[in-house]
Amino acid sequence: MAAVGLSPWSVYDRPELRDSVSQPSAGNSREALLGVDGVHCAACVSRVERLLAPLVTQVHVNLAARTLQFRFDPERVSLSSVLAALDAAGFEPQVLAQDARLTARRAAAREQLARIGVAALCAMQVMMLAWPFYGNDGSVIEPAMAQLLRSTQWLLATPAVFYAGWPFLAGAARTLRAGRVDMDVPIALSLLIAYGASAANVLRGEGILYFDSATMFVLLLSGARYLESRSRIAAGGHLRRLVGARKLTAVRVGEHGDETLPLASIAIGDVLRVVPGEAVPVDGELLDVAAELDEALLSGESRPVVRCAGERLLAGSLNVGGSALCLRAESLGADTWLAQITHILAAAQQERPAYQRRLDRWAGIFIVAVLLLAAATALLWWHLDSAHALSAALSVLVASCPCALSLAAPLALAAGSGRLAAAGVLVARPQALSRLAALDTVVFDKTGTLTETSLTVGEVEALAEVDRGRCLAICAALERGLLHPIALAFQSHDRGLLAEQVSSQPGQGVAGVIDGRRYWLGAAESAPGGRLLPQADAAATPLLLRRDEQMLAYIEVLAPVRADAAPLIAALHEQDIGVQLLTGDGVLPANALADRLGIDKVDARMQPEAKLAHVRELQRQGHVVLAVGDGINDAPLLAGADIGCAMPDGAALTQARADLLLVGNRLGSLAALRHMARMIRRRTMQNVGWALAYNAFVLPLAIGGALTPWLAALGMSLSSLVVVVNAQRLPRLRAD
Amino acid sequence: MEILFLLIPLGTVLLAAAAFVLVWAVRSGQYDDLDEIARRMPDDEPD
Repeated sequence: MAAVGLSPWSVYDRPELRDSVSQPSAGNSREALLGVDGVHCAACVSRVERLLAPLVTQVHVNLAARTLQFRFDPERVSLSSVLAALDAAGFEPQVLAQDARLTARRAAAREQLARIGVAALCAMQVMMLAWPFYGNDGSVIEPAMAQLLRSTQWLLATPAVFYAGWPFLAGAARTLRAGRVDMDVPIALSLLIAYGASAANVLRGEGILYFDSATMFVLLLSGARYLESRSRIAAGGHLRRLVGARKLTAVRVGEHGDETLPLASIAIGDVLRVVPGEAVPVDGELLDVAAELDEALLSGESRPVVRCAGERLLAGSLNVGGSALCLRAESLGADTWLAQITHILAAAQQERPAYQRRLDRWAGIFIVAVLLLAAATALLWWHLDSAHALSAALSVLVASCPCALSLAAPLALAAGSGRLAAAGVLVARPQALSRLAALDTVVFDKTGTLTETSLTVGEVEALAEVDRGRCLAICAALERGLLHPIALAFQSHDRGLLAEQVSSQPGQGVAGVIDGRRYWLGAAESAPGGRLLPQADAAATPLLLRRDEQMLAYIEVLAPVRADAAPLIAALHEQDIGVQLLTGDGVLPANALADRLGIDKVDARMQPEAKLAHVRELQRQGHVVLAVGDGINDAPLLAGADIGCAMPDGAALTQARADLLLVGNRLGSLAALRHMARMIRRRTMQNVGWALAYNAFVLPLAIGGALTPWLAALGMSLSSLVVVVNAQRLPRLRAD
Repeated sequence: MEILFLLIPLGTVLLAAAAFVLVWAVRSGQYDDLDEIARRMPDDEPD
């Protein structure tokens, strides 16, 4: 079917595949996110960046996640040429082939475990063979036996240092080649010094051996790294599960029965079948009467949800009902909700908050200082007692390696983001979490935020000779094509009237010409006679429909208040966080809602610019403001506030330029936001404090020669472990 | 004590064998998921 192209990557130039692996971004360019193998260090990162510089812009490589993000102009550069360039340079790109990426990860995890096993076996044996020499200089042992014990130690230490310790040696070589230093440098240096000096002493037949220290160092350090990567994997698990949930094939229902096709050849409008236990491949409209789905992956909601005919099913949700379901494809590839969440989360992982960069810089300076200090220690001891020079210098190198310092912040941040994601809050910009800790004011939008998204038309009171159906049809024609919730309420009343010269003013209303008469639909101050009918569980927005200057009808649009809105407001008040309601709706419904929920400050009739100005004024007064809105209409508000939280609805997820995304559709998760941000900050501070205190404590001991190399290795690994465990000590959020 | 001249090299050979078996076992995926085996037991239809 597909022609064999010049390069195996050329298949990705087919528009449907290209669109499923990249997102439109600014201008004509598209943004792509790939997995890359073979990127291990900062040097590789800069190689990839240099390699791609002539082809694409805004290259970001994430070392931890092994992902590559870049923008390219499809008119100018084909995606396949970028992929081929990467492949030729030895960085194999992973496009859609998520299975291959998982395989690579698994192979890396296996190798890590194998290295630990070898290090453990060797370290134990070396320790046994070294034991006869502990507490004496070996002179009590018969010379031939001593030489056997010493050379066997050498033999056993070799695989431990050069196989099990290879990641440290290779990592150090790479950073040094890139003209930088990182933690691997002192580690590799101490391993090589200990190994080299001991080997020389075996050949000489006298002197102290450090094989036991070297092997134990490798064992403890690989153990600590293993635990660290396990906890990173656990924190990044949400993203990986999202990526893994992306299906590559779908079953299309056709005239000649079902056929399984690659996802790339599914078109919008195709009818697809999903058998029980399978994941929905694309976003689409449910064609069956009802279906039961598990959307935990997308929203954090662990209970299955029931969707009815016509409702939107999301790619990545599982069919947990008893029978197969059918859906009509509506959005594919990168447009699906799943792909957008994945993209946002991956982009968030690429971002390094400012304090993280600061910590990394400190760690870099610290390492140089450690190297210099070790050299100074060796020199000092050389003059005092040359026999101890090597051991003291090794202890300094090993003990003061700032592993814990560089792990302090990222692990706490990763653990916190993971907890928030489980409660349905996605952190799109980790930077926001540091501002969130100081939060003292929350500004809510009304429609779609505190109330349900979908509005319904309530009472219609005719003021002239028109019937209800005609009024609503006129409204529907005026509001057609607008995305505001009020506009959507009229959708079902559309009778196909044609409105011309439609103009809409946000927060005020829409105007247009139908059948030659000018109509205007906008906010009304109150219903006739000044009465307002906020029903028991709904907030009503009165609208006024005018023809020329004649008032035609009052129309009430109702929105049920979200069930978790009142508990949320109460919880925020309890924490002394001010709550304000800013809405484009009229004064009366806004006040009615505020009274019901106990919100003390209300500003109604606010246009987007006025909302933004209000938030700016709050910020000038020194408040730290969290704005919660629907993401599209409130985009300026969310961008202007210190932290913007979007409650995205529908497909436009990536367009919501917000710091946080409430994907679970549960307001309750917001109550614990500040607490969680403060916990993350406290964990980070504790970790940094612990790492600094540990280093300050052991450094004098190591320089003074009171710390033997193996003790230093144990201390360093334990200090990393403390940081890893401490970062995990975050409370779990309950959204309900 | 002369027996140590035999036993230490022998021990080293055994250690090498153990290391090879371990590396093989890990690389062939036997340590990938230690929980799943336990969960697979009540599954009537292994795939």
